[in-house]
Amino acid sequence: MAVMEFRKFLRDLFEGEHRKRILSSPLTYQLVERALKLARGSFPSQASYMMARFALAQTGRAFSRRVPVVWTSAFFPVEIVWGLNLCPFSPEVAAAFLASLGFAEEALDRAEQAGYSRDLCSFHRLIAGAALLGYLPPPAALVASTHLCDGAPLLFQNLAAFFRVPFHVLDVPYRADRDAEAYVAEQLAELWRALADLAERKPEPAGLAEAIQNSNRFRANLLEVNELRCRVPAPVRGSEMLNYLYLFFAGQGSREAAEVFACLAREIGRGEREGKKEERFRILWLHLKPFYKGELMDFIENKSGAVLAFEEMSHVYWPPLSPGDPFPSLARKVLSHFCYKPLEARTATVKMLAEKYRVDGIVHFSHWGCRQSVGGSLMLKDALQRAGWPVLLLDGDCLDARNEATGGILTRVQAFLEILAERKNFRVGERHDHCRN
Amino acid sequence: MITAGIDVGSLTTEAVLLQDREILAYSIVKTGSRARLAAEQAFEEVLEKAKIKFSDVSFVVATGYGRMGVPFASRQVTEITCHGRGAAFLSPRVRTVIDIGGQDSKVIRLDEQGNVVDFLMNDKCAAGTGRFLEVMAQALELPVTALGEAEREARRAAEISSMCTVFAESEVVSLIAQGVPRAEIIRGLHRAVAARTTALVSRLGLVPEVMMTGGVAKNPGVVSALSEKLGVEIFVPPEPQIVGALGAALLAR
Repeated sequence: MAVMEFRKFLRDLFEGEHRKRILSSPLTYQLVERALKLARGSFPSQASYMMARFALAQTGRAFSRRVPVVWTSAFFPVEIVWGLNLCPFSPEVAAAFLASLGFAEEALDRAEQAGYSRDLCSFHRLIAGAALLGYLPPPAALVASTHLCDGAPLLFQNLAAFFRVPFHVLDVPYRADRDAEAYVAEQLAELWRALADLAERKPEPAGLAEAIQNSNRFRANLLEVNELRCRVPAPVRGSEMLNYLYLFFAGQGSREAAEVFACLAREIGRGEREGKKEERFRILWLHLKPFYKGELMDFIENKSGAVLAFEEMSHVYWPPLSPGDPFPSLARKVLSHFCYKPLEARTATVKMLAEKYRVDGIVHFSHWGCRQSVGGSLMLKDALQRAGWPVLLLDGDCLDARNEATGGILTRVQAFLEILAERKNFRVGERHDHCRN
Repeated sequence: MITAGIDVGSLTTEAVLLQDREILAYSIVKTGSRARLAAEQAFEEVLEKAKIKFSDVSFVVATGYGRMGVPFASRQVTEITCHGRGAAFLSPRVRTVIDIGGQDSKVIRLDEQGNVVDFLMNDKCAAGTGRFLEVMAQALELPVTALGEAEREARRAAEISSMCTVFAESEVVSLIAQGVPRAEIIRGLHRAVAARTTALVSRLGLVPEVMMTGGVAKNPGVVSALSEKLGVEIFVPPEPQIVGALGAALLAR
């Protein structure tokens, strides 16, 4: 069973009037996990197969009602949830999953009917709609961080009222000094105790230390993958790495997430990953990608001769955590994100990545409604262009296909690649079927 | 060597034949509902005008939104690169190209060598495009080509507050009902297009010299409103509609 067929299998499984019942049954995920084994050989790698199994198992666990489910926003330090052996659930990743199966529109429409404005981020609208439709596992609590996304805390607060469960916010100051670190660390410690109370468990420092060690392994393994990705041709496609969203948003602190990247590093190290024979253009990709089935990523990575050599999301920006001093080190992790600082920090990071991965150009995928990412994009573009890199700001939407005009978005990408071609003295323009490999 | 460029746009399709960097002939036809037929028609017409055969043409490059549907093209190049190349050929000092076509508008930045280094494209809605003016012309019961001339009698510009084509059309209908002179409405519409385009130009940064291409460049009312708004002189080539096809012909090798 090929990957595309596996997606079709999932889509067919969830299609129809019983979607809610099927999506919310833990048995479904056991069945899907078995089906996944049949598709094992057709996954691009053992690592991606492991990631799919892990995500499915955790989703089944979330629907099992045997363990309290904690909804965590993207970038929340999910190690404290793993440290209590609770079940973290990333609704942002669930939204991307639903969109990849082609079910975004129904949930988006439901959210709009409930009064969520179409101007809002489609991740948040889709989460709201899916929650109202009963497609997501009921949470025992919701926790959201204020850094990097100011929409999530508001949405989570709203949904906490809907589910009638506690909502906790991690208030992250916009500065990274010692006071800020102490302030965030104190909140994390309180939150850890509050989540333990919720689960009627005694908070065990040993459990948290294990999660911190797992998170450090995740970091070390990802660093190894990232070093190996300096190879030309690129051994891993950026679009595949962006599919590991679950690990970044919900997996840090788990043994399995660390193992996925260990496996990926082994695969690259053993030369099992072959890059494109012809790598005409190396691209650094900023922000996320469309997760619905569209033509953009297929065109870039399969038809244009370009490769996403690296993506901003995979950059390891945080220092190692301290198992003996978990909360201050998690606070440092939260506060060290290069996008939660003056724009110069993001610019410097992007320049460093562009040099390290020897890219020809930089594409910023400007997701509709994401103020944090898109807000400074013009200034970012200006600074990067002054430093000599061609930059494309590509307006689009990660989940809502209705916000994408395919012809226009492909023309922009093609025109950008033509700019790169002229810089490299390649012949401009090709037959549209020329670069398939 | 004779080369050809075919620009399949949303409203019109243009073909240009080039020999030793001299334009042999060009043609402009309506695109209609079938881009491929329009491309064939434009190509046949231009071959006839130049009195040559298909086999005399060494290379054909297709551009425009329908570029993938031109079976006899050797290659496809985006309209952004082609407009840039065509504009630089016509005037090497041009650094900013404003192309307002039927369904989108683009601003293109060129370097000293005439290469495209940056661009912006607006295709999210019809505001500020040729289609916007076409709809308004229908509401005013005028052919779109007459708008520029009809504006000359205006003493002032009517206020058009909406940029949305649908809402602006309602505004135009209301203004007609209020007895506002047609010329003043047209001037208001031209200023609305200029305001929309200025926003796009400002985002990319205005670097003179400026050339305007595409069908809307044939409307002197829009050109003058845009020139006033941007505070620069805008150069319009003798046939602004063929610049994309010209660029394609230049790239055909």
